[in-house]
Order: sequence, then C-alpha cells, then structure tokens
Amino acid sequence: MPASFLDRESTIASSGYNRFLVPPAALAVHLSIGQAYAFSTFNLPLTKLIGLSHSAPGDWKLTEVGWTFSIAIAFLGLSAALFGRWVERVGPRKSMLTAALCFGGGFIISAFGIRFHQLWLLYLGYGALGGCGLGIGYISPVSTLIKWFPDRPGMATGMAIMGFGGGALIAAPLSLLLMEHFKTAMSNGVLETFVTMGVIYFMFMLIGVYSVRVPPADWKPAGWTAPSKPRSLVTEAHVAVDVAWGTPQFWLLWGVLCMNVTAGIGVLGQASPMIQEIFSGRVTPAAAAGFVGLLSLFNMGGRFIWASISDYIGRRNTYFVFFALGIVLYSTVPTLGHLGSITLFVAAFAVILSMYGGGFATIPAYLRDIFGTMHVGAIHGRLLTAWSVAGVLGPVLVNYIRQYQIDSGVPKAQAYSVTMYIMCSLLLVGLICNLAIRAVDEKHHFRAASPAPASPASSRSVSSRSAS
Amino acid sequence: MKARLVFLWLAVGVPLLWGVLKTLENALKLFR
Repeated sequence: MPASFLDRESTIASSGYNRFLVPPAALAVHLSIGQAYAFSTFNLPLTKLIGLSHSAPGDWKLTEVGWTFSIAIAFLGLSAALFGRWVERVGPRKSMLTAALCFGGGFIISAFGIRFHQLWLLYLGYGALGGCGLGIGYISPVSTLIKWFPDRPGMATGMAIMGFGGGALIAAPLSLLLMEHFKTAMSNGVLETFVTMGVIYFMFMLIGVYSVRVPPADWKPAGWTAPSKPRSLVTEAHVAVDVAWGTPQFWLLWGVLCMNVTAGIGVLGQASPMIQEIFSGRVTPAAAAGFVGLLSLFNMGGRFIWASISDYIGRRNTYFVFFALGIVLYSTVPTLGHLGSITLFVAAFAVILSMYGGGFATIPAYLRDIFGTMHVGAIHGRLLTAWSVAGVLGPVLVNYIRQYQIDSGVPKAQAYSVTMYIMCSLLLVGLICNLAIRAVDEKHHFRAASPAPASPASSRSVSSRSAS
Repeated sequence: MKARLVFLWLAVGVPLLWGVLKTLENALKLFR
C-alpha cells in the first residue's frame, strides 16, 4: 500500500461525492470496536482453558480475566486523549488503519496468550494494544463527519457512535457461535475464536479505511448556508485543543459526560443481578440476559435518536432532558420495584439507557458548538478521559453501596434504593454543570496569526475564513 | 456512486440487523 494512499490529501473527496458514503465508513469502524462491550462473553471460557468444562488448578481466575476489559477501557481513554492531535493531523484514513491494526493485532497477541497460557499477553494484546485501537478508532471519524454534516452534526456523529453501541449486539452472538463451532475435545474454541475475530474485525475496519473521505476546505452541502444568526452557544470560531482544555467550558462538559456515563454504566454492569434480585423468583437468568440485551438496544438506538433530536432542540436542552428526566426516573425506580411492575421497571431503565447512549453521541456535536470544528476530534479525545473515570466510578458505586446495604441487613430486593438516590445526586451535579456552560471567551478563539494548528486542512479553512 | 452507496450501507446494515434480531429474540424471554 503506497504511503500517499493513507495521507489526508489522498482522502479529499472529488466534486459530486455523496457525503452519505461517510457514515457507513465510520460505522464499519465503530461496529467493530463496539465488540468491547461484549468481551464478557469470553470471561468464563477464559477461566476454563485447562479444565475445559470446569476451572482446573492453574486456570486463570475470573477476577484476573476481568482486568482485561478494564485495561482496554483505560487505554481507550488514554489513547484518545494522547493521539487526538495526531488523528486530526494525519486524517481519518491513516488513523482508521492504525486502529484496525491495533484492534485486530490485539486479538492475535491475545490468542498467543491463550495458546501459551500467559495472562500478561492477554493484558498486553486485548487490553493495551486493543484498547489503543478502541481509542483511536472511536475518535477517528468524528471530526470528518462533523465537517461533512455542518447542517446535522448531531445526527452524523450519532450514526457513527450508534455503531459502538451496536457492536456488542453483533459480537455477543458471533462470539458464542464461533466458540461453539471451534469447540473440540481438546479445546473450548476460544483461541480459534480470537484469531478469527481478529481477522474479521481487521478486514471489516478496512471497509472504513478504503471508503472514508474528507471534504475539501470550506465545503458546504449544496443549497445550505450557515445561519446568519447563529443559535446561542453555537460558535463559528475555532478554539485550539491546547487552549480548549484550559477553559471552564471543557471541564464543565467533562463533568456533564462523566456524570451522565457514571449513572448509566453502573446500572448496565449490574443489570442482570439487579433485576433478578429486585423481582426475586419472577425473573430467570435467561430473562435477565434478555433485559441486558434490551438495554443494549436502547443504548444503541438512543445514540442516534437523541443526537439527531439535539440538532433541533440544541445540545444544552438535550442534556437538560437527560439529567432532569434521569433524576425523575432514577428516583421512581425503587417505587416501581416495590410495586412489582416489571414492565414499568424495564421501561424506566430502557429510557435511562437510551439517554446514557445519547450522552455519548451528542457530546461531539456539543464540542463542535462550543469549540468549533478545527480540533474537535482532539478535544473529543481528551474529553473521553471522563469515560475512563466514569468506567471505574459507576460500577464501584453500584457494587459497593449494594454490598454495604446487604451487609447492614437490608433485603437484597431493596439494596439498590440508596444507589438510585445517589445516581440522582450525580445527575444533579451534571445538570448544574450543563446549566453553567456559556460561550467561550473570544480571547480563546483561534486566529490565523496564532501558532499553526495540527490539521493542515483546517488551517486552510480557517485562514480563508479569516481573510474573508 | 449509487451502487457503492448501497453496497456500503448493506455491508454495515446486514450485520447490525442480525445483531438486533438476535438481541430481540433474547429480550422476548423477559416477557414470556
């Protein structure tokens, strides 16, 4: 593959290019890396590599295997923050290929770890390398989509980030099918499944690598003109990434994302035992798995629907709905549990999880509104550290408070009530952060005379705009 | 361009639809 093929200049679209070719390119990457949400399907098989039907002495423990996912999510946040500027500079094609190599390669290295029963190779492969693939892949199409869809940035990024939620829906049944297919008397099929998935995901992500294009500088959709009177909080200016993260707006948005994700991720991780314990004897493990699947569907659908709605009602109003409605629903859940209404309980959590997904999908457009398009991918990358923090905070809050309640003699069915009220207080913090967001002070705006930005294409775009 | 558009959307749409259907299949157990 010649180097020039990967350069940003090679990906500039020719005239007449249909911009609706870009969302599937982004989806090819996000559907692949979204597999991470289904990693738990490997947890038990990875603890039975020696014993096959049961965990034998020498087999890895569940707690040890569980670290793989945590490492991957930590590296997702770190790599998105560290490589954000690089992704902006080299463009989506090179960054998508890097993500594909890291993610696919992570599976292959992990397969060696399984073959030689070396846990550190699993951590290094899927955890560290795969995690970098997650982070780079997650942010790589975001700024490209925002530039292609200046008229509907929420819908465009929502479509891609929906893929991250949908990836688990594909990966979970696919992993089970492959493990069943490769199972023999000598192997439970995990090794072969890892190799196969590494190859499949690498190939699938190449669809994105080959088909992604960036718009020419100052490109606009035919017949569309930027509103003469911009909506409040929507800027036409640009803020460089290194300036952006020194502004209060960045940290308020960080708080908004962190609180929204903390509330949702804790519930998502505990959804299965939670519904079984609250409706003890009425919900089987199989039905609880169905509940988790349903939440994943709403998590995915919410990403597209809420982000699209935000194009019409504005980002701040959308997050206001997430937090206000979230507080109402979380505070109602204990009552719904007492009433014994499974349907209302499921409906409440379906809406909550749709807003959890919606929070992820709306944040790039919110960043674009506040900081402009120039470094939006890099700023988004740094903001994703909020996800890493929430990924630890959410499950810890839910698990530890539940355990504390049970140890204090509270019946299991009621052990989640306090947690729900704590989630309400987290959402209240998010609500306050969201309401405190104002437009960035003009002194922070990028001007052509300032030091050169990371993205050459953006630089041209900004210069020409300054000249006019 | 149109064929490419259809191919790309099918390439991502078909696996996603399969995943959604499999998930719905499991989710129905909740209400049975």
